[in-house]
Amino acid sequence: MLDTLGTSLKDALRKLAGKTVIDRAAVDELGRDLQRALLQADVNVKLVLRLSQTIKKRALEEEPPKGMGVREHVLRIVYQELVNLVGEAAPVDLSPQVILMAGLQGSGKTTTTAKLARYFQRKGLRVGVICADTFRPGAFDQLQTLCAKINVPCYGDRHVKDAITLVKKGLELFTQMEVVLIDTQGRHALEAELIDEIIQISNIAQAKHRWLVIDAALGQQASGQARRFHEAIGIDGVLVTKMDGTAKGGGALSAVAETKSGIVFIGNGETIEDLERFEPGSYISRLLGMGDLKMLAERAEEVIKPEEVDVNAILRGRFTLRDMYKQLEALNKMGPLRQLMSMLPMGGMEIPQDAFDVTSTKMARYKVIMDSMTEGELDDPSVISSSRIHRIARGAGAAPEEVKELLKYHRMMQQALKGMRGSKFNLQRLMKRFGKAQ
Amino acid sequence: MFDSLKNRIKTVQEKLSINIQAAALTSPPSLDEGKGKQGKIRLTEKVRTLVRDRELILSEKDIAEPLAELELVLLENDVAFPTTEAIISTLRGELTGKRRRIGSSIDTLVVESLRSALRGVLGSGFDITTYLRTHEKPVKILFTGVNGTGKTTSIAKIAYFLRNKGFSVVIASGDTYRAGAQEQLSTLAQRVETKVIQHQPGADPTAVIFDAVQYANAHHTDVVLADTAGRFHNRANLMNQLEKIKRVIKPDLIIYVDEAVAGNDAVIRAEEFNRLVGTDAIMLTKADMDMKGGAAISIAHTIGKPIAFLGTGQAYEDLKPFSPDVLVGEILGEA
Repeated sequence: MLDTLGTSLKDALRKLAGKTVIDRAAVDELGRDLQRALLQADVNVKLVLRLSQTIKKRALEEEPPKGMGVREHVLRIVYQELVNLVGEAAPVDLSPQVILMAGLQGSGKTTTTAKLARYFQRKGLRVGVICADTFRPGAFDQLQTLCAKINVPCYGDRHVKDAITLVKKGLELFTQMEVVLIDTQGRHALEAELIDEIIQISNIAQAKHRWLVIDAALGQQASGQARRFHEAIGIDGVLVTKMDGTAKGGGALSAVAETKSGIVFIGNGETIEDLERFEPGSYISRLLGMGDLKMLAERAEEVIKPEEVDVNAILRGRFTLRDMYKQLEALNKMGPLRQLMSMLPMGGMEIPQDAFDVTSTKMARYKVIMDSMTEGELDDPSVISSSRIHRIARGAGAAPEEVKELLKYHRMMQQALKGMRGSKFNLQRLMKRFGKAQ
Repeated sequence: MFDSLKNRIKTVQEKLSINIQAAALTSPPSLDEGKGKQGKIRLTEKVRTLVRDRELILSEKDIAEPLAELELVLLENDVAFPTTEAIISTLRGELTGKRRRIGSSIDTLVVESLRSALRGVLGSGFDITTYLRTHEKPVKILFTGVNGTGKTTSIAKIAYFLRNKGFSVVIASGDTYRAGAQEQLSTLAQRVETKVIQHQPGADPTAVIFDAVQYANAHHTDVVLADTAGRFHNRANLMNQLEKIKRVIKPDLIIYVDEAVAGNDAVIRAEEFNRLVGTDAIMLTKADMDMKGGAAISIAHTIGKPIAFLGTGQAYEDLKPFSPDVLVGEILGEA
């Protein structure tokens, strides 16, 4: 997800490792590397310059706390400044409210609207969705289909060409609803008529929130677009979409800085459940490649019972077949493995791409195979001999090769997790400190 | 279009010129007596050579500052990092070390260097009508790209464009995944009066496109435009699906669609798409959004494929065939 930015930053920080005294040259170099990393992540150029200056200044002027190495000291400053920049998550409360969605064409407003409807629905609220996109063909069909899947009423009319009328009617229709989401047509800041239209919609809807949807891949445009949307309707929250790609979402940082708001949610997948509450600490931790245990735990709490995934055991390096089984079971609820893994602290290590390329059907097969194993085998896969493989294969109705493949996959995961534990001891300690600092 | 990039490049251009001029003033006039050719020229000529056609050698130091600024300008305009570095190093190579004649042509010198650096990364253009005329019908064109870049809209625009050029077109509605995609495409196609081949939602996209090709064969249609669902390049399964389409359909052209407002990620995904399924030409959408032109430069540079079209608005006629000369001209303020 945000790993590329993490990697470049880590490169920058690695150069400070082992240094005992902060010298200007090293900090200058870090400043340059940091600039590079952030620019590559599409953070606004001016923001980057300001940020790297502040970091440089603080790194040179502030005394590192006793017992803290230079590298950790600087890392802490980098972290704090980035947290400052990204701000707190914009608030979401569960009171009755109208939310207006705005954004550029193709940024993912409609998909995100449906995800939000699902979010509020899961919180136990009555949700209604209004489709005010009268321009894009298929927009209403898209929203309607998505809403029908989760049984949320969706109002729209293909024959009405006036978005304002639609919003008025929709609001009347949904007076009984606690949360009303208004999806609008994609527009950009130079389309004066459309900007006018959204100002009118905003006035009529008296929306409690006006959220700007930003594509994670959006480049230096983000600042300007966000500023103009902000001038028009007063943006009070940013939603970052498509974070499941390789884009680093630096544009969102620029948008947040421009609108003085915060990121509300992060969209990270194609299904309706792929919406994650934004958390500044974890966003930055992930940015720095330090992973985030807090978020993993939170998320796990929401969808599964805590005992189902024993994160601590995994981190201790005891990753048995049983853990893998639990992980596979939780998979549907928790999203793909990649997502899960990106939340674990895995500092500088590389997870082999193959580990992620296991398809969901294969995952299901693996579960069946593991169902044919004994308790002992699940706890300690090393006892599985070739005759046991044959027994397991027969029991599961699978080929012995499949069993071997499963074992190989497990070994690969185990290896990856081991690497994580060894190298990242310091970072974990550091993270705890960050936890206190917040 | 490209205004911001254009204006900023102008500033840098001026700075470069000033620095070069300064270098010319401080460097001792390179007296040309040594050159036998000029030794025989009359005195007046000689004076003119000295005053106007003096030569100088630029050192890296002379241009370091404006180049650093140019680097920032390019980055600010969404030119990806590796591309920016490529342009800067070409420019540095062109400007330094060599003996330069100086005089009336400082500006030309800078502009020419910039032009060749930009032309170098942009590559040649792509003329689709010539391609269609010289290839066996039906020409099968497959559209690829990540989610939300505007593939479906672009297909309608290209259908409209090609029909106006006198080609017959059939569209395959290969996005069977996204809700509303089929409705969107069929409405658009209806408006530009083009036949669409569709299946049920969730159907195999390969089958849809295959049917469209069959239709084209039976009706002697010139072009098949095949839409696909948006997908991220890091999803192995979805990329495999695209690979299957390619294997079965054997498209003549694969057009990769991305948005002009994308930042550094544009390069990563263009590269991945090119690596996994191949790309023959590029279509850049949303170029009307106050675009900075950077994505165009970086994508073309990274995968070395030409840009065929720019999408410049919400109407069907908002499609511009792309020409690198025009882009470079516009950026350098000549268009």
